[in-house]
Amino acid sequence: MPQIKIYQGDEIPSPMLKIWHTFADNPFAFAGLWAVVGFLLLAVFGPFIAPYSPEHQDPHALLLAPSWDPAGTVEHFLGTDDLGRDIFSRLLHGAHLTFGVALAIVLTSLVLGFIIGSISGMMKGLKSSILSHLLDALLSIPSLLMAILVVAVMGPGLNNVFWAVGIALTPQFVRAIHQAIHEELQKEYVKAAKLDGANPIQIFWYVIMPNVWDTVIIQTTLGISAAILDIAALGFLNLGAQAPSPEWGAMVSQGMDNILTAPWTVTIPGVAILCSVLAINLVGDGLRSALSPINN
Amino acid sequence: MARYLLRRLNLFLATSLVLFAVLFIVTSQFPVEQRFALTGIQSPSAEQIAQIEADYKLNSGKFNQFIAYLQQRLGGNLGISATSQRPVADELASVLPASFELAAVAGFLALAFGLPLGILASLSRHKVTQHTIMAITLTGYSIPVFWLGLTLSLWFGVQLGWLPISGRLNLLYEIEPVTGFILIDTLISSSPYSTSAFLDALLHIILPAVTLAVLPFTVVVRITRAAMISIMEQTYIKAAEARGLHTSRIVLRHALPNALIPVIKNLGLMLGTFASYAIVVEVIFSWPGVGAWLVSGIYQRDYTAIQGGVLAVALIIIFLSIMIEVLHTTMNPLSRKELYASN
Amino acid sequence: MPLLDIRNLTIELDTPHGRVKALERVSLTINPAEVHGLVGESGSGRSLLARAILGIPGHNWSITADRMMWDGRNLLEMSPKQRRNLMGGEISMIFQDPSSSLDPVISIGDQLIEAMPSHQNIPFWRRGKKRKQTAEKWLHKVGIKNTDRVMSSYAWELSEGECQKVMIAMAVANQPRLLIADEPTNSMEVQTQAQIFRLLSKLNQLQGVSILLISHELETLSMWCDQLSVMYCGQIMESGPTSEIVERPFHPYTKTLLDNIPNYSGTMTHKSMMPTLPGSAPALQHLPIGCRLGPRCPEAQKKCVNKPNLCHKKNRYFACHFPYHEEQCNDDSTPSS
Repeated sequence: MPQIKIYQGDEIPSPMLKIWHTFADNPFAFAGLWAVVGFLLLAVFGPFIAPYSPEHQDPHALLLAPSWDPAGTVEHFLGTDDLGRDIFSRLLHGAHLTFGVALAIVLTSLVLGFIIGSISGMMKGLKSSILSHLLDALLSIPSLLMAILVVAVMGPGLNNVFWAVGIALTPQFVRAIHQAIHEELQKEYVKAAKLDGANPIQIFWYVIMPNVWDTVIIQTTLGISAAILDIAALGFLNLGAQAPSPEWGAMVSQGMDNILTAPWTVTIPGVAILCSVLAINLVGDGLRSALSPINN
Repeated sequence: MARYLLRRLNLFLATSLVLFAVLFIVTSQFPVEQRFALTGIQSPSAEQIAQIEADYKLNSGKFNQFIAYLQQRLGGNLGISATSQRPVADELASVLPASFELAAVAGFLALAFGLPLGILASLSRHKVTQHTIMAITLTGYSIPVFWLGLTLSLWFGVQLGWLPISGRLNLLYEIEPVTGFILIDTLISSSPYSTSAFLDALLHIILPAVTLAVLPFTVVVRITRAAMISIMEQTYIKAAEARGLHTSRIVLRHALPNALIPVIKNLGLMLGTFASYAIVVEVIFSWPGVGAWLVSGIYQRDYTAIQGGVLAVALIIIFLSIMIEVLHTTMNPLSRKELYASN
Repeated sequence: MPLLDIRNLTIELDTPHGRVKALERVSLTINPAEVHGLVGESGSGRSLLARAILGIPGHNWSITADRMMWDGRNLLEMSPKQRRNLMGGEISMIFQDPSSSLDPVISIGDQLIEAMPSHQNIPFWRRGKKRKQTAEKWLHKVGIKNTDRVMSSYAWELSEGECQKVMIAMAVANQPRLLIADEPTNSMEVQTQAQIFRLLSKLNQLQGVSILLISHELETLSMWCDQLSVMYCGQIMESGPTSEIVERPFHPYTKTLLDNIPNYSGTMTHKSMMPTLPGSAPALQHLPIGCRLGPRCPEAQKKCVNKPNLCHKKNRYFACHFPYHEEQCNDDSTPSS
């Protein structure tokens, strides 16, 4: 026999469920989430559904307009560039270069930053202060300058972009996590747990971490959007992915020669970058507003 | 307060020291001979080699090398640029004002339009307005700056032909550089065309400044709006209303000073990103500033220029962020309370 | 003529759980130069009532009333601008959290001077100085001696008591006719509490200011107030002269409140139960119908699912179907809407 609800009472949802409900109530954030999922799928399966290979050159269709233009054809949905390469296929192949590499960079630097940040956050006194000064110095070098330094040492190329952007991002994660942990450490409930006899590891994992996760999540979304923009900017400046690569920023820079005759070679990759970053930022914004009532 | 300033100065020195250390390590990693990386002299003569080794103590231990490096750099010797054969310090002095000018105009645009818009956005309770503002600012925040710059120059520069898209001034004008700031130089110059030169310089700066201003503008709007919304719910605003003050007075005198505090804090945090964007904008619009100069240094493997540029930009950012923090503290009596409590 | 006369004021809040009647048909009368106490648990809508009288509603409120008269003028028909002019001038308010009611980034002196009345009859170049002198005079009057120190400090540098004195100085500087004091002594030491109350009653006696004193402590209120209104869950339970209410409460809620005052005479036996009302105040989204005290009331019967009307007996008002010491007055079987 099914249980009958006799009492009129509120079921209090778990915090996770509550965050999810707040997040899902925001249509923009939800749309952003779907877009991010779409980009993720493209980054993984993009090369399989692309009609042409990224280097395939069609000598009969140079600088072909997108299909909605009267001059365009459906074979080349988003048109072709000056070498007759299909822009749609290149975009699909570039998804894992721009979006996927950005995710990989953020994941790596998040893990690194998390470890360093938690250790330094739990430390006190001189060691912690030296570390935070070091991070301040690293943070004061803008990410693009940091990338320029790395490129100067290692030479241009997509592999080096991984290191360049990673080195620029890690201090941000370290500092955010360091500060969040440091702030939580000052609070009374940590003192209470300490008085209960919790050891530092228990305090770190069971007491402090549940209150730091939202910082980590928000910082991650910020990091992903910054990483995409940095990778694309480096590609655009010819310091990252090199010429034939279908990386989106590099595609913009390759299309620059024909910007007057074929503006779509610049516009379409740019719109792709804009959409991916916008999707990430929508999700990040939704998460931030969903998480913030807990902080207050 | 003096103690606080001393601590900030200490922070500045310590951070700069770390920066020098990072640069020193990077210099030794450059894929060229260390002597060339340090001085920029391509093929030194025997006595130049001896001079370099004496200056940078290349034969002693790493620590002594670092001290010597520090002495040379602080003494103003940044080496010579491999491409132009001019001292890097001189080149920096000629490109930095252009960057400052661009950054200042962009920052001014962002604040002048961002603050009022943020306040207006916070006062509107209309759902559609709020969503529109959120959508616009989020798009502005997500837009890749190089693409925005290209699109703007394509529209306003090429298709409409309203605005020039590269450089600081039409080459026809000959203006003696005095301050390095083209807007000031054209105004004070004695040339008979100084007014038209000023207008030309103004037209040249519009596109790059607007492109660069988009990011700080969106950040200022968002932060101002969020801060204003939370402040308007505070008890002291209700108390000010209960005292019968005008809404405009409450907003301008009580809410705005409080809302400016987080705005200033976030401006400080944004400096690094802003500098990155400025580099890209300078490259797109051929603005002869430190960013374009640095990127061309990379293309030409000009290692002394890279070092000098990174050093200058990073030092300026460290200095500015500390200045903004001091400003934040002076503007915000509450943070002074924390200051007393921590001491 | 009463200074403030409110009949059947209802405030509805739009919450995520739907529309809630936070205040249901509240009536309140304040006469000139009286200290009127409003007692109720926290969450019973006292602050809502205060803010509705003053005219600073929240954005999700909707206010309806049969009558809301201020000194013969209808508050409901006034434009927001007229209401704003009334605030500060004729009605002013002090809040329960004085240190957060002062702007944290502006010094106390500046805020105080801002609140001072401007003297239109003296030339404008001397007005600033005059206002400063007025501010200092009022600080003296509320019992702050070192005016220079206080005026140059920020809100967080002062104690709660000093902040509240500053708030009072601001509130009374324009010589209002009604001062609404919303829990003015919340989170203060007993000594400071006594100072603030003494200050308020002195203002009442010397300046003839009517005061609406809001608190949850019946004991303190009965010491300082001429009239008393008892509120529970957004409904007025009983209202009347303090001495009569304390002596012969009509309403069960008032009686329990009086019984709940701790007994210090030592006559209670060891380990005996303290008298309390069973249960707890309902949440706003689960309000009972009819008399909201119903589920907890010791006298409740079937009839209590209809809201009792406010009965008028001599100078006392009460809303109960089964009052103590008194005949029930609204036995009309038609349910009141």
